[in-house]
Amino acid sequence: MGVLEDKGRARLFYRYLSTVYDRINPFIWNEEMRTEALEMLALDADDRVLDVGCGTGFGTEGLLQHTEHVYGLDQSEGQLEKAWAKFGKTDRVDFTFGDAERLPFADDSFDAVWSSGSIEYWPNPVAALREFRRVVKPGGKVLVVGPNYPRSTVFQKLADAIMLFYDEAEADRMFRDAGFEAIEHRTMGPSYKPDVAITTLARVPDDG
Amino acid sequence: MKRDLMDIICCPLDKHDLDLDVESEEDDEVVAGTLTCTDCGETYPIEDGIPNLLPPDMREETPA
Repeated sequence: MGVLEDKGRARLFYRYLSTVYDRINPFIWNEEMRTEALEMLALDADDRVLDVGCGTGFGTEGLLQHTEHVYGLDQSEGQLEKAWAKFGKTDRVDFTFGDAERLPFADDSFDAVWSSGSIEYWPNPVAALREFRRVVKPGGKVLVVGPNYPRSTVFQKLADAIMLFYDEAEADRMFRDAGFEAIEHRTMGPSYKPDVAITTLARVPDDG
Repeated sequence: MKRDLMDIICCPLDKHDLDLDVESEEDDEVVAGTLTCTDCGETYPIEDGIPNLLPPDMREETPA
């Protein structure tokens, strides 16, 4: 269990991280990667989308280029304050404090769920993915961007100690356990680090 | 919080509907109030226009 897999610690960590997050974030998760992930999700203009762990709103901003019906959920006020500064509290996005593993939304509320840079902090990713499946309509899509498991042993040790990292096989297992189908993965990254992130797209079965 | 958010939010614990109790409102939006689960009775605050639907064990402790 990594040190950030405790939610109290994750919250504290995020309170400090949010002050610099958008500055360091582009190195691992940039606009090109976001565009590629959005193309995979292929939203329609009238789709209702939930951004889980929306944080400072980098992914949210991309979603708004495709649909006006975007909802943001996060557990950290420090992170959300940055998002509010960009979008207002209810002008373009409806924000809610909440937990990824215990979503405060009714069954089949959304056409899609998006989550970028959040899964690595969930203590039980499969529980969160099951919640995503519950709140997305049958046939709807879920897209998750997370950190790819690093190749170097030193970084692997660091990764294991700090947070969850996973490879394609592990992502496949998590999404299958959560009941998804048509699971596909793509690694992404800037040219100097082309596989730093792993993006998974999956479909909610027609019978939910 | 916009009132139509009530159509999709629910209790994070048991997923039942919530009752909205408005304390203050501005331009048709709820600024402060309380959401109460119609089943388990757990309450969730709306503060500064944002519903706090974190489960009780994850809420920030209010400084004494």
